[in-house]
Amino acid sequence: MDEEYDAIVLGTGLKECILSGMLSVSGKKVLHIDRNKYYGGESASITPLEELFSKFGSTLPDEVTFGRGRDWNVDLIPKFLMANGSLVKLLIHTGVTRYLEFKSVEGSYVFKGGKISKVPVDQKEALASDLMGLFEKRRFRNFLVYIQEFSEADPKTWKDINPQSATTAQLYDKFGLDPNTKDFTGHALALYRDDEYINDLAIHTIRRIKLYSDSLARYGKSPYLYPMYGLGELPQSFARLSAIYGGTYMLDKPVDEIVIENGKVVGVRSGTEIARCKQVYCDPSYVQDRVKKLNQVIRCICLMDHPIPNTKDALSCQIIIPQKQVNRKSDIYVSLVSYTHQVSAKGWFIAMVSTTVETDNPELEIKPGLDLLGSYKKKFVTVSDYYEPTDLGTESQIFISTSYDATTHFETVCTDVVNLFKRGTGEDFDFSKIKLEEEAS
Amino acid sequence: MASIKVPEQKVILCGEYGVGKSSLFRRYAYDTFISSSSRKSTLGLDNFNKEYKVDDRSIQMQLWDTGGMERVASITSSYYKFAEAAILVFSLDNAASFHVLSQHLLEIVTYAENAKIFLCGNKSDLEGTTPQVTEADMENFCEQCHNLISSTYKTSCKTGEGVEEMFADIGRQLILSNRSRLELQTMGAGGIGTDSFKLGGRGSEEGEVAEPPCLC
Repeated sequence: MDEEYDAIVLGTGLKECILSGMLSVSGKKVLHIDRNKYYGGESASITPLEELFSKFGSTLPDEVTFGRGRDWNVDLIPKFLMANGSLVKLLIHTGVTRYLEFKSVEGSYVFKGGKISKVPVDQKEALASDLMGLFEKRRFRNFLVYIQEFSEADPKTWKDINPQSATTAQLYDKFGLDPNTKDFTGHALALYRDDEYINDLAIHTIRRIKLYSDSLARYGKSPYLYPMYGLGELPQSFARLSAIYGGTYMLDKPVDEIVIENGKVVGVRSGTEIARCKQVYCDPSYVQDRVKKLNQVIRCICLMDHPIPNTKDALSCQIIIPQKQVNRKSDIYVSLVSYTHQVSAKGWFIAMVSTTVETDNPELEIKPGLDLLGSYKKKFVTVSDYYEPTDLGTESQIFISTSYDATTHFETVCTDVVNLFKRGTGEDFDFSKIKLEEEAS
Repeated sequence: MASIKVPEQKVILCGEYGVGKSSLFRRYAYDTFISSSSRKSTLGLDNFNKEYKVDDRSIQMQLWDTGGMERVASITSSYYKFAEAAILVFSLDNAASFHVLSQHLLEIVTYAENAKIFLCGNKSDLEGTTPQVTEADMENFCEQCHNLISSTYKTSCKTGEGVEEMFADIGRQLILSNRSRLELQTMGAGGIGTDSFKLGGRGSEEGEVAEPPCLC
């Protein structure tokens, strides 16, 4: 450890592992440390099942047989990959995709008026959907056609609205969409978490709906992908990329001090050892005094022996409960994965309900989500603080990622990583630097 | 460009730092040897495909190197996932690297339950007249692990002795043992795990779209 590095990365969560990979590939000498004895930090998939129970201070009960403990790989933070999203692009450009296998998520649903319906995404589905009345269906169809034909580069496709200056509200009104349709468009297609986007530029909403439909077009049933063996495979795969490019990994290593001289980081101390460095990249848990808490996210893991009712027995799915449907400010998300993803024992399902906390009783807030699940055999609840760095790290050269937010996908994760890399290195990541030895042949 | 899909089989190298896993990888992939003094570290070695044939059947053996992660930390559990075979490597001139193998074996059976396991004593050129690890030791080890080890080999990456023979033999065993499994898969009786896919490779982002998984 007593060496000098260009960068020391603390924590092996997904963001830190992607950064570590990017830095190593860019020729930096990287030391990557985690205080845990496993890879992944908060983005690990917990295995075996006994470990999950003990993490929540309980033990496996005798009366319910959850199958073989080591068949379980349970995520702590529920997310899916958008098939045409930033993380997939990053996986493909870095070649990390070779380490992973995926399945398409089977269904995407939205909650309205007390029941769930499939999210309509094309004209055909819009016309068949039970979410809207007949006239509304035609208006929504026209809206979808507009989005489909819309091209940022070609103003002719903008029709008579300028998406660079008009708001989303104006865009909706142009097509005469009713409040219900606006609601599921903004929350189930554009995947906004709350209603602030209504006054944001129309172009942002259009881009997000396009991401949804482009993702859907890639693999079929839904726009989402999920990796075999759980999300914990993602950080590990980027860690391997980093290692192959010379990154050094240390697990189970306490971090006792980030050594600062004249306001700038010069090293990291563990016990009596000090590794010297020019920069530190880390998650908020390693620098409690340099982050501020913005809000909280509640996440509830439910182990079940059946699929979610009214989803056509989907082995994986996502249900979005738009805030207005349940008189909230932020949406509630439900996600389901199962034994077919090698994350649970045969016949078992893992549902997750999550949202941004708004009250003093977060468990009550997720009740509308839990009510959709039917029965469950075990429930684990976490309420985690969402942190942001207090500064950009320009002076201290300590670059801190934000906590994982309540969004159901990895778009904000990638944005944060790309920003951190740029802040730290002063340049955009150059994908052409990735050349593995095998490709020379 | 239509081509008959030759099944890829992941084979991983396991064992202590410095026993010559990357050297085995280099011999296998490029038939080269770099002595330890002129080598920096395990850099850029990821995985390499090579075709092996028995009669009319063939497989793409995909050999994986650890990426040097075992130097200080442990290897990721991902490394073991989807492995069809694992080669436990130790150095014939280093008894400690042999005695620690049971730990590596434990990781293999935990994370790659169904992998076939092979034992490889490397650096046979350094064995000398009083071997640090004898053939009897190797036999005892195999017995102790309830015959989980399919075959044992001795290799020297420096001279190249035994290396290609080992990989050819492992390839042959994989072809023979996987016959029934592959036949099952082609009949579509796979069930779990058969409809997962890899995302399109580099540069094929636009063109290559995986087939949509079936609904069964």
